[in-house]
Amino acid sequence: MKKGYLVWMLVMVFIIASGFTGNRQHASPKNAPQSDDVANILQSIPSPLEISSLIKEVGGKYDPSHLNNPKFVSNYTMTYKKALNLGIFSTDLGYANLYDQRQDILDYLDAVKSLSDGLGIGQFFDYEQIKKLANSSNNIPELLKVTQQNFENITQHLANNRRESVSVLILAGGWVEALYLTTLVYEKTKDSRLKEKIGEQKIALEQIRKVMNLYSDKPNFKNIIRDLEQLSNVYQKVRIITKDGKTAVRESEGEIIVSNETVSSVQISDGDLANISSLARGIRDKMIK
Amino acid sequence: MKNRFIVALVFMMALFVSTPEAKAQDCDSELYSNMALKKLTDGFTFIKSFKVDGKGGTRRDIEYTCVFSKDTKYKVILQSRDGDATGIIATLFNSKREKLASSHNNGKFYTGWTYVCKATGIYYLRFSFKDSHSYCGGAVLGFKR
Repeated sequence: MKKGYLVWMLVMVFIIASGFTGNRQHASPKNAPQSDDVANILQSIPSPLEISSLIKEVGGKYDPSHLNNPKFVSNYTMTYKKALNLGIFSTDLGYANLYDQRQDILDYLDAVKSLSDGLGIGQFFDYEQIKKLANSSNNIPELLKVTQQNFENITQHLANNRRESVSVLILAGGWVEALYLTTLVYEKTKDSRLKEKIGEQKIALEQIRKVMNLYSDKPNFKNIIRDLEQLSNVYQKVRIITKDGKTAVRESEGEIIVSNETVSSVQISDGDLANISSLARGIRDKMIK
Repeated sequence: MKNRFIVALVFMMALFVSTPEAKAQDCDSELYSNMALKKLTDGFTFIKSFKVDGKGGTRRDIEYTCVFSKDTKYKVILQSRDGDATGIIATLFNSKREKLASSHNNGKFYTGWTYVCKATGIYYLRFSFKDSHSYCGGAVLGFKR
């Protein structure tokens, strides 16, 4: 009898313990966006590096006048301005990295370091390592890798400290800068790949709006949300058409290569493209002021 | 007296073992992502890393949403604590949730896959576990135009 009671007690203890932990969650403020939702949306946004590499590929010349001036860094004293411009300068840093513009890399690095320190996340930016890589030749892949890893560490730290709203602003700033740069280079080159890339940003914009809207009760988010909504209204006229195709899988040197014949194309009128360019410029101007 | 002691001991052990903190400490995903990153070569540029933490087996899969662009190759590299990609599978789905790529073929765990993307859109990248001992690893995503 005693043994049976003991076994019953042990089983109950395990069940209760597992039940408690299964439902246990970190306390979060009422109505606060869930960290996992925010993290998943943030993760989904394409890196500005993908756009910058296309700009380089189409033969766009490096033009520092297109970028935000790193000397403006001291103008940004409010947290939300610091975060937005950290995103903008990060895109500029990635762009300068791709073109191996060493002096500009160092200037943007200083700007990024200054804003990161101001936001209390400077310790996640390995300034010395990036500086060392920027000063040596043929290190672009390593430079891009380290820079990207540093930004991931920053995002992780902000998430751990329930400061995802700062990550959202960094991301929004970086994306707007990448879109703005693409429109400028398109105006000069009229390359159809850039036109299509601008149209494709419809998808990323909706993801960004989704995550921004989670913070719509924050005062500084309201204006950006409204601006992005205006941009989204123009993007509603852009059509991304997908034609389904088959998938082919092959193995090459021990690696799996998958090709899918599903293709997409973008329909965007010159008028809508001009409106997008103008709105992107306007939003970016407000951000860097 | 002896029985009471055993009950108390088991109770404390159960509480400790089952806390999420205790389980979370088990998997250092960043370590495995860094290992995977070293395998990302062939001109692919690193863009994202992913935590593949099955929380000791309580989480069967982890899914991330991605926006992929046309005319771009994406490469996923896995690293499991069990060694290479053992026990972890990376599967790619399109926006209709149709399976496009898997790193587990014919019973073999591959290090990852390269997806040649011709359609811009939302994709889902799912990491799952099969015969895993550690339920722990990391992954990286790179792109090449």
